[in-house]
Amino acid sequence: MFDYYLRLALRRCRQNVPMVLLLVLTMAIGIAACMTAMTIFRALSGAPLPGVSPYLYVATMDAREEVDKDNPDYKQPDSLLKLVDARVLVDAHRAVQQVAVAQSLTLLGDMDGRKSEQAYGLMAYGLAVQALGVPLRYGRPWTEAELAANAPVLVIDTHVAQKLFGTEDAVGRSVMLGQRSFRVIGVSGEWKPRVQIFNLAENAGSVMGQEENFFVPAQAALDAGVGPLIAGECGKGAPVVSFQSAAVAQCRWMETWVRLDTPSQLADYGRFLAGYADAQHDAGRFAYPPQAKLYGTQAWMTLNRVVPDDVHLNLMLAGAFLLLCLVNVAGLLAARFLRRQGDVAIRRALGASRRDVFVQHLVETGLLGLIGGALALPLTWLGLWIVRMQPVSYAEAARFSPGVFVILFALSVGVGLLVGILPAWRVCRQPPALQIKIA
Amino acid sequence: MHPIVSALKHHKTTVVLVALEIALTCAIVTNALFLIGDRVAAMRVVTGVADHELVWARTTGLDLGQDTRMGADIDADLAALRGMPGVESVAMANTLPLSRNYMSVGAWRRPGDKKSEIDNVVEYAGTPGLLHTLGIKLSAGRDFLPQDYVPYTPGLFGSPDSKAPPPTAAIVTHTLAEALWPGENPLGKTFWLDSDGKEPVQVVGVTGHLLNPRITKYQGADRNMILPSTRLVGGVYVLNVRPDMRGAVARDLPGVLTRIDPARMVKAEIYADTIADYYHGDRAMVWVLLVVTGCLLALTALGVVGLSSFWVQQRTRQIGIRRAIGATRRDILRYFQFENLLIVTMGIAVGSLGAVGLNLWLMRRYELAHMPLAWLASGAVVLWSLGQCAVLGPALRASRVPPVVATRTV
Repeated sequence: MFDYYLRLALRRCRQNVPMVLLLVLTMAIGIAACMTAMTIFRALSGAPLPGVSPYLYVATMDAREEVDKDNPDYKQPDSLLKLVDARVLVDAHRAVQQVAVAQSLTLLGDMDGRKSEQAYGLMAYGLAVQALGVPLRYGRPWTEAELAANAPVLVIDTHVAQKLFGTEDAVGRSVMLGQRSFRVIGVSGEWKPRVQIFNLAENAGSVMGQEENFFVPAQAALDAGVGPLIAGECGKGAPVVSFQSAAVAQCRWMETWVRLDTPSQLADYGRFLAGYADAQHDAGRFAYPPQAKLYGTQAWMTLNRVVPDDVHLNLMLAGAFLLLCLVNVAGLLAARFLRRQGDVAIRRALGASRRDVFVQHLVETGLLGLIGGALALPLTWLGLWIVRMQPVSYAEAARFSPGVFVILFALSVGVGLLVGILPAWRVCRQPPALQIKIA
Repeated sequence: MHPIVSALKHHKTTVVLVALEIALTCAIVTNALFLIGDRVAAMRVVTGVADHELVWARTTGLDLGQDTRMGADIDADLAALRGMPGVESVAMANTLPLSRNYMSVGAWRRPGDKKSEIDNVVEYAGTPGLLHTLGIKLSAGRDFLPQDYVPYTPGLFGSPDSKAPPPTAAIVTHTLAEALWPGENPLGKTFWLDSDGKEPVQVVGVTGHLLNPRITKYQGADRNMILPSTRLVGGVYVLNVRPDMRGAVARDLPGVLTRIDPARMVKAEIYADTIADYYHGDRAMVWVLLVVTGCLLALTALGVVGLSSFWVQQRTRQIGIRRAIGATRRDILRYFQFENLLIVTMGIAVGSLGAVGLNLWLMRRYELAHMPLAWLASGAVVLWSLGQCAVLGPALRASRVPPVVATRTV
């Protein structure tokens, strides 16, 4: 029966091509608009580090050490800590894994000084490679002993290795970082959060994550004169602090991220963190009640509004647009079906049940939906291309992915059936006798 | 009951669908138009400087972390920049309107009196010639005198310069003057700066309008002051350039500066591009909203045309009968036009509620302004005219149905 209905539907489509074109195009444009907005939204709101970030939590507390009156930008405790505090939290080993990190931008060179590469990387206290799920291609991560000894070791990515040494396997080579030579102990593959997760307070406006090209123990880097990209919050009386300064002892510049797998671990760690922060406040170091709190990656991103409001607004606009397209198509379909009341009446009189009539019309609208979906595919591609051409911070997220196909297919069939329900129901409810009389 | 209304009852499904479509369009389009108006108004704010005559440059020392060179050779830099072809004048400033970087402080009306503090006043600071270079017009008072200038960088902690007190002369915007001394002549008046409000600063001039580096909730649009400084740490160079030479100057500028000191990165930018960049997000959003609004209206019009055509076709016989018993073409035309008006009005009634609801939700979610009810009226007018335009074709076709149709069996 199904393919008979399908043939009927195809035949009817051929009868009134302009009308069918209008219906199909309306659906296609609605679906394409929705898919474009949804692709961007999905790319931005998914887990920044699949498999890792769902278990990562960032520690926040009000760690200001002096009264900082009338600071309107300070609305709630941020995630920046001094290295001393970060060290204590990491060394306590209360979480499954823990690491304090800060971003750095510096020059990496080979020992002859002939080749160099400006690269972004993470300065870390703790076992960064393990905690952040950095994929290692060669070598090994640094050990607790190396960390404790401030050993000049680092992990670079294959891109930097290729650039400096002409080979990906650069384990054992030496890299000039700041004023010291560092031994490469590991080479990592590409590691890049899909969206920005580090230092959101200072990275406001940058949406896409930064690919990290090297990972280095923080104290060793500081000893070599390499500091974080952003010095964070520095107390008054600190030495002049500018970009990439290594004189950050008076600054809160590190973020502590911990891995917690179960709710009980989360609760335990929350208590430990609050205990530490309150003790610092009681000891007179922190000037304010610390209100220590752990945020999951996703909650932290939401709180800091990493995904721009415009992306949400666009998604809603696209959704509303699709809705209107649906209502429009439903109206036109109702008119189209009701025009054929005579045919339906004859079918009913010959013994077709309401169900048969209903299904027949749904098959037709489902077919129209599929054609609409097929047309929406190039339109979505066009939409994403247009977004990529814009100098917006999230342009890079506008990429076609295989998942989009599946959603598009489901959406177009769903749309086709949805718009058909009301008109099909309307047409199958007419009593056959009356319809024959009208005809 | 009026025949039009009772006729509508015979095709409830389609009428409801059209009304629903109008309602949705009304709710979305009204809010979209409001958002467009809001963003366009934001983009039309004037900066208060000569937008089209400026080029500016940032420099960063390459001696990472050491900062010894910062602010070292400003005079040599300024002289070299002044010598570039097309450059009228040059100065150094800490920041520029709409360049996003800003420092703000509290200004105290009485020394040390916490209650007299006006918070979040943006500080501009610049070397001699800044006003002339930026093209800032004073509405009262005078430019700075040579003795007013002292080494001072807003918001600088920890360097030897930061221990220096702020300058003793300032030029304030009208907005700041009104905030400090409502209704009074600010010239010659003193306010106090620094974290304890201990450093006196005298107002020597007033600007009518000078936009902040960033428009925020706290700092407002143009509550700021200009301070005279001989030396700025981490400042930017501003060049007043003949408009047709801006591209060339921006291109050659990094070369000129790196020739003096190669160990730095220089980034030059045409100021008009900075402004365009600041509003980029707004402009993109306006375009998206315009396209969506256009598509929604086109779609709604198509829907109305389609369904009206269907009704005309469905009622051909009835139209014929009406014509045969005396209705004029005009009557038929009016019938369909009035029917459309009725349906669209129903849609608008529902849609207006939706529009207000949507606006309230957007206000809560995005800190948007309250939509004045006039926007609802504009949305209604747009949809009424859209409906009438869309129905005109089918209605004219209906009016041309000859009376003889009544005598035929379909």
